Amino acid sequence: MLGVRPIAVPNRESWEAWVVEPPLPPEIADIGTLLEPNLEFLQQLRPDIILSIPFLDGIKPLLERIAPVTSISIYAEDGQPYERSVAATRQLAQLVGKVEEGEALIRETEEKFAEIRLRLEPLSERPIYVVSFLDPRNVRVYGRKSLFQEVFDRIGIRNAWTAETNYWGFSTVGIDGLAGSSNARLAYLDPLPTGATGTLTESPVWNAMPFVRSRSMLHLPPVLMFGTLPSATRFAQVLADALTAESANG
Amino acid sequence: MADQAATMVPAGSTSHRLSFLGNLPLGALLLCAVLIAAATAATISNLTVQLPSALWVDALTAPDIDDMRQVLVHYAYLPRLAVSLLCGAALGLAGTVLQQVLRNPLAAPETVGVSAGAYLALALATLLAPSLLAYGREWVALAGALVAIAAVFGLSWHKGLSPLSVVLAGLVVSLYAGSIGAALIVLKHEWLAGLFIWGAGTLGQQDWTTTLWLIPRLGIAALAIGLMVRPLTLLGLDDEGARSLGVPLGVYRFAALGAAVALISFVVAAVGVIGFIGLAAAALARIGGARRFGQRLIMAPLIGAALLWAADQGVQLLTGSQGDLLPTGAITALLGAPLLLWLLPRLKLGSETPALTADRLPRALHPGLLLIGIAILLTAVLFFALFYGPGPAGWNFAFGDQLQSILSWRLPRVLAALSAGAMLALAGLMIQRLTGNPMASPEVLGVSAGAALGMIVALFVFVDASRPTQTIAATVGAFAALSVMLALGRRAAFAPERLLLAGIALTALFDALILILTATGDPRAMLLLNWFTGSTYGVDINAAILTAGLAAFLVVLTPLFLRWLDILPLGPTAAHGLGLNLTTTRLLILLMTAALTAASTLIVGPLTFIGLMAPHLARRLGLARAMPQAVGAVLAGALIMVAADWIGRTAIFPRQIPAGLVATLIGGPILMWLLRRR
Repeated sequence: MLGVRPIAVPNRESWEAWVVEPPLPPEIADIGTLLEPNLEFLQQLRPDIILSIPFLDGIKPLLERIAPVTSISIYAEDGQPYERSVAATRQLAQLVGKVEEGEALIRETEEKFAEIRLRLEPLSERPIYVVSFLDPRNVRVYGRKSLFQEVFDRIGIRNAWTAETNYWGFSTVGIDGLAGSSNARLAYLDPLPTGATGTLTESPVWNAMPFVRSRSMLHLPPVLMFGTLPSATRFAQVLADALTAESANG
Repeated sequence: MADQAATMVPAGSTSHRLSFLGNLPLGALLLCAVLIAAATAATISNLTVQLPSALWVDALTAPDIDDMRQVLVHYAYLPRLAVSLLCGAALGLAGTVLQQVLRNPLAAPETVGVSAGAYLALALATLLAPSLLAYGREWVALAGALVAIAAVFGLSWHKGLSPLSVVLAGLVVSLYAGSIGAALIVLKHEWLAGLFIWGAGTLGQQDWTTTLWLIPRLGIAALAIGLMVRPLTLLGLDDEGARSLGVPLGVYRFAALGAAVALISFVVAAVGVIGFIGLAAAALARIGGARRFGQRLIMAPLIGAALLWAADQGVQLLTGSQGDLLPTGAITALLGAPLLLWLLPRLKLGSETPALTADRLPRALHPGLLLIGIAILLTAVLFFALFYGPGPAGWNFAFGDQLQSILSWRLPRVLAALSAGAMLALAGLMIQRLTGNPMASPEVLGVSAGAALGMIVALFVFVDASRPTQTIAATVGAFAALSVMLALGRRAAFAPERLLLAGIALTALFDALILILTATGDPRAMLLLNWFTGSTYGVDINAAILTAGLAAFLVVLTPLFLRWLDILPLGPTAAHGLGLNLTTTRLLILLMTAALTAASTLIVGPLTFIGLMAPHLARRLGLARAMPQAVGAVLAGALIMVAADWIGRTAIFPRQIPAGLVATLIGGPILMWLLRRR
């Protein structure tokens, strides 16, 4: 991205399952877990810059011994992860001397949203719940202060979940909590926990849910819910694809 | 089995006043009535929000599938209500039976480790062998529960299964299961969100399956208990009395125990761990005046059902239909901890004879040589921990220009592990000699839990709390917990058993908080868990040197305590005879233990079991007197911790397993072996 390739990321193996895009080239090293990256290993890789998150502020002095650290926060009390992603992109672009590429990425993202907004105009009258299944009975539903909400706002889709959300823009509820809107669609993200689909089809509550009865469910591939611009674009894209495929099928 | 049968005093005065009204457990009945009234009110309020009252009968008998509100009441709200009643009753029944069989007024699903065992078995099966679950979740849960209770018995057998030792062993087993669970979370957490929710005891239902699944299983277990009422009543007498009546005690004891464990396993398999309902129901039934076993068998399930019903309706009232999910089981656990503290002065446990049954163990002929041997081993491990490890190009010895930078990462961690291991071992030695209980350890003193609570507060009150803030908060928490313990213990002249029980209550409180955090999916819970599992990660050289200095200082103070530590295990009478002021001595040892624990907890988290293990290891090697045992324990503690840190850093490079966790995983089996039945 921005024409610069990272030399290492934490939790490499989770990338495939949760992020997918952009794909990770094989030569990028894995430096361990997100919250405890292997410092000894990291130093031997001799990075130029370390990008960090506020959660790691506790070890910032240690990271700074290896390379200059830039700590980026996408989440804050007032939400707006998209606005913050744009700001973070500019900050990063400046940092690696790719200001042009950074502006291009922001521009492309906006253009993509505009294009998808136009494409989805005829399909946007019904609100949508976006959820990740935690087990067969409970979901995380994304709402205000989430990245997905801000994408919705930009592509002209209404979020069916209007209730409170936490700091990271989601709320954990039982499936029955999704009965609030009578004409909503349900978009659920991969990966699914084992057993979720099998048990669901047998549950009377599930089968009575408005979106199940009207068969308006969208099964989406993985999108990082806590991502930045690339995840935002990816979310808009997979949602638009699923919606148009559904309307084409009837 | 239990030679020091525990007697239980049902809150003295009340029951005497009531006794002229006959033998009815009036207090318990009154409590039940109050709970039911509250639960009914909450139920009506919750139901009214969901559906106009005109439709209630329809929703119950023939719900209109096209009316979402009726569907939800019929298939979500009502089954949840039924499940809460069933599980509450089952746990109350199981608690009462456990208390009767073990003659232990503190026995309960959580306190004897059964819930934790069942939960861990299900969690492991879900992650590693989902095909096992196809045979039935109840069997997996039952297997885990049986292993757990077998471990508890194994650990407390040589203390004659005395109430305190059983509960302590139960706590140790629960903590051990908990740390294996934490290991799974730290290493594979993305996949575990669902497990958190279930594990924390969410009663939410979406059809009647669970209810219908529970009824026959709970029914059979309850029936089995019902058929054993007479022999079980006799079990409440002492062994002699029962035997003279010709009752085959062993058979009934095991059958009843099996039925109780089955009840708990079914509940865990269905809805996860529901904290403290079993203990509360059984204890409240007693305190409410149900003195005969037959009465308690009826009152405890009633109170249990009413308690869980009220608690669950209360949770629903709080969260509303669109609120964030709050697991009822964790909430009851949260309420259970204060209850346990309140119960403590009302229980008569009989003081335990401090007897480290160690005298039959071999004594080393040359303790000095043995200590030198351990020291050499420690040096060797230190060398490898500092210089040998994997890098981008595979395993290698660090040398040359690389050396300095690599050492700058490894030295603080090794030093921190070394100091923490030494301090925990010393703390363990002191608390074990103070209490005369081989299962006592700094972990169960509550100081660690206090430090952890401080961390929680820091993480949630200050956004992006920095390390110094966390350290200060943890220190404050540790000393707050200590003050609570001291305040509780003062009345009983710091009688060890009270302190240990108060520690258990504090630990339970902390566990419940962790469960609630993880179940709501708060990412900050991960930070906490990482620390909780005992990682030396992120320790900088200043913190390491500070800890090492503190450790050296406290170790140097130890000789002042050695005489007391030699005398205390002889028992209070002997100690008095030798001119010891028990209260002062106990207070000083306690303060020393707390300081050692707090300083090490800050670095490696609250759960290591080094404090439990190292003194036993030293004793087992034949170091009997306080002085050589202390030196041996300190060396062994440091050795285990440094080795654990090294293994944790290198085993799954570049990922890392927290040192405390490695120590626990290795130490658990060692501990079982050290404390095996003699």
